[in-house]
Amino acid sequence: MSPLFMTLLLVVGLGIFARTMYQRILLLMALEPTDRFNRIKDRFKNVITIALGQKRLVGRKKERAAGIMHALIFWGFCVLLIRSITLYGEGYVHGFQLPLLGDSSILGYLYITLKDIMEGVVLIMVIWAFYRRMVVKPPRLHNTWEAYLVLGMIGVLMISDLLYDGARFNLIASYGNPGDLHYFNNPTFGQEFLWTPVTILAGKEISGFSATGMERVMGLMFWIHIITQLTFLNILPLGKHFHVITSLPNVFLKSLDYPHDKIKLLDLEDESVWEDETLGVNHLHQLNWKQGLDLYTCTECGRCKEVCPTYTTDKPLNLHDFNDTLKAELYANADNLILQAKLAKTLTGDPEKDAKTKEKIAVFKPEKALVGEVIALDTLWACTTCRACEQVCPVTIEHVPRIIAMRQGQTLMQGEYPQELNTAFKGLERNGNPWGIGYDKRADWAEGLDVKLMADHPDAEYLLWVGCAGSFDDRTQKVSKALVKILKAANVDFAILGTEEKCTGDFARRTGNEMMYQMMATENIEVLNGYNVKKIIAACPHCLNTLKHDYPQMGGHYEVVHHSAFINQLIADGKIRVKKSLAGMLTYHDPCYLGRYNEIYDAPRNVLNTLSSQGVNELPRHGTESFCCGAGGGRMWMEETIGSRINVERSKEIVAENAETVAVGCPFCLTMIEDGMKELNKDEDIKTRDIAELVAEHLV
Amino acid sequence: MKILTTVKKVVDVELNIHVENGAILDKGLQYVINAWDENAVEAAVQLKESHKADTTLVSLGSGDNTDIIRKCYAMGIDNAIHIDDPALAKADSPTFARVLQKVYEAGDYDLVITGKQAQDTDAGQAGIMLAEFLNIACVSNVIKIEVTDDSHIQVSRLGDAGTEILDVTLPAVITVSDGINEPRLPAMRGIMMAKKKKINVMDLAGLGTSFEDVGGTAPTSEIKEFMPTEKRKGGQKFEGEPAEVTAKVVDLLVNEAKVL
Repeated sequence: MSPLFMTLLLVVGLGIFARTMYQRILLLMALEPTDRFNRIKDRFKNVITIALGQKRLVGRKKERAAGIMHALIFWGFCVLLIRSITLYGEGYVHGFQLPLLGDSSILGYLYITLKDIMEGVVLIMVIWAFYRRMVVKPPRLHNTWEAYLVLGMIGVLMISDLLYDGARFNLIASYGNPGDLHYFNNPTFGQEFLWTPVTILAGKEISGFSATGMERVMGLMFWIHIITQLTFLNILPLGKHFHVITSLPNVFLKSLDYPHDKIKLLDLEDESVWEDETLGVNHLHQLNWKQGLDLYTCTECGRCKEVCPTYTTDKPLNLHDFNDTLKAELYANADNLILQAKLAKTLTGDPEKDAKTKEKIAVFKPEKALVGEVIALDTLWACTTCRACEQVCPVTIEHVPRIIAMRQGQTLMQGEYPQELNTAFKGLERNGNPWGIGYDKRADWAEGLDVKLMADHPDAEYLLWVGCAGSFDDRTQKVSKALVKILKAANVDFAILGTEEKCTGDFARRTGNEMMYQMMATENIEVLNGYNVKKIIAACPHCLNTLKHDYPQMGGHYEVVHHSAFINQLIADGKIRVKKSLAGMLTYHDPCYLGRYNEIYDAPRNVLNTLSSQGVNELPRHGTESFCCGAGGGRMWMEETIGSRINVERSKEIVAENAETVAVGCPFCLTMIEDGMKELNKDEDIKTRDIAELVAEHLV
Repeated sequence: MKILTTVKKVVDVELNIHVENGAILDKGLQYVINAWDENAVEAAVQLKESHKADTTLVSLGSGDNTDIIRKCYAMGIDNAIHIDDPALAKADSPTFARVLQKVYEAGDYDLVITGKQAQDTDAGQAGIMLAEFLNIACVSNVIKIEVTDDSHIQVSRLGDAGTEILDVTLPAVITVSDGINEPRLPAMRGIMMAKKKKINVMDLAGLGTSFEDVGGTAPTSEIKEFMPTEKRKGGQKFEGEPAEVTAKVVDLLVNEAKVL
């Protein structure tokens, strides 16, 4: 075509793009480090399934249609990327062909067919997307001019390329190829246009032009395509469509910890961290670079808010706004953050020498406080850490670890947290339980049940981890008793720690009180390791999660099983027998920390199916998309004063299913759902029961 | 304004306390700041924040009180003195008040704020006696303090018939009730930074006195024995016709319980 013009376009287009990207990368490098280059094989696996395979888009039943639409546009883009190279080549060399994809190989022919069909498909998808945004208007979508602009540009890209090829076809087929245009014409595979039905259709649409007109159309479409593409490339990093570039790396670099990046074990003994206020995330630069990349990648698709228990009950946490606000703040302070990071590198560790550097660094601090001004306190504290958002995020953004890190900054450094937590923290500090009940009463529930203490029976095969709720809460004590009945019926060799057990520290950790968490964890691990405990049965998913995933960071390594999974095994092994006589409609509420955090979905259902001949009647939101009860992330100990109550929302869903029994596997869910039923005046009709209670009642 | 505030380390009464042979068993006991003293510390810190007062904490006892003093530092107290003398293990209220008097006289305080009583003995004497020994004003059971000027405060006190509002000329001793405030839970950062603060530890000799001087050798009261509280017995249940049951209950109340 015109090598000079093409070179000019490429230099300008790619030059600006490279500059923007350089700034974006520099900004990420100014953030905190995190290692995301281990286990490369697993990372590629994630890229193949989640990114290339579009698993979370086509995999969700509820969103399948929109998911397929996106996937087809994405796959279309992947196919057309190769085509673009050919077009840029065409700018320099007439009839430019890529090796292997030229007209000498069947691959070349197959490729042009695929490209031809995909262009048609993408165009239809773009029209559908316009229709969805303008007419259907799904509530999760956030309609912006940028969305329409980008959709429009994709449409232009498809149409211009199809018309370019269509005009070429017309010139070759109808006007005797006056300009001696190149086309595939292999004796074995035939002429190029036999393989490109969509191009022929496009050609027909413009068949009215004369030969000269047709040549002009062809040239115009070529340059429109190239210019649109280069403009598109430069628009991407400016807005939410940056995900076109960042989502593949974002998925590749996602945390491989389960289920998300583990909460950092903070070194609280280091005096300087308290002086320099470097614990948690209180300032933008304390985000790590992957968290920055997450922000770049957020597509504002709104799936996170749609499944969020707080957003759907009118609380101020709107995750895509949260991301968007942080991203805007990051961009607004980009230059300062980069300078700050440069200066931080010159710190020597010598307090005298560093004092001046620290002063200079302080000058570049953002004007607004990250929490309080950029992100409101109510927003930060609304999260129940249920992970529903992370489970559905198509680009694997990790919201929860970032929220917890920000809470750490507030709790440890600022002392700013919902004051209701004070009572729970105090209880933990003094008596090892959030209720603050005397620690010496911890085993009172087991009086008369002949339950052995570890102190008297240190060789027990299993330790039964009762948890604070199971020990102190009247309602949950019944669950503990039921579980003991089952374990005794199965002749399981177990013991409890009694007054030596303390809260695992789950809620302290998730409300950012790492200090209190570490206090609890240290003492518990000391006791557990002292008894050389190997296997633990946990009656609470929060305890299970902390014992299993958090304690290894501090030297506590145990095989931890949730009681529902343990009971399931007892039934499967024939160690206990149950009557299949549970009457009435039975449903099951998946606790977040059992399901999404520990992937235990089947065991509780298997157990319930042995009790009821009708089996479990699933709730609309179940399994990986179960709806939180509202108590996770320390919310159990905070007031819920904004919007409607999460537990009542969930209870309404259960009521609507006409359930007579709702089974749970978590003491918090038990309390929350039972309270929800009371609120709805349904507690007489719908019984909220722990799986252990149901099994104990049906033991043969 | 210079404020002196006092704290006592007491047994956590949330826990079961076991008594054997007239003495409290030490096993399983936990020690905490006396809750009313926490209110006193909070009140002092609030005055510091609103009126730039200089706050000093004093704790008396036999043994290490570092943990509770650090907590008070983290709440915002400026200086801390710990009078650590084994003799004080057997001290009674007047003795403690005499020690406090010595501490007071060593400094130049305008206001003393104490908890209205200690959770363990519930005596409620030390603060009032201190004022008596110093011959300065004392208001007990205070639920509000307002600074009028450098030498006057206005306090609200919970009386038997209602709230009394009093103008007080400084120096004075104020003992506070739990209604005065909700003590803050210090930020973790405060607790960690408090580790670096110095606690001025001294024994009675260091304070320039002796156990005898403060009246310790001639106590006005002493603890003879501890006894567990009796467990509440279950009540009696009556079943039958209302008229019969009523007659029976009235008879028992008159003749057996002798309350009617």
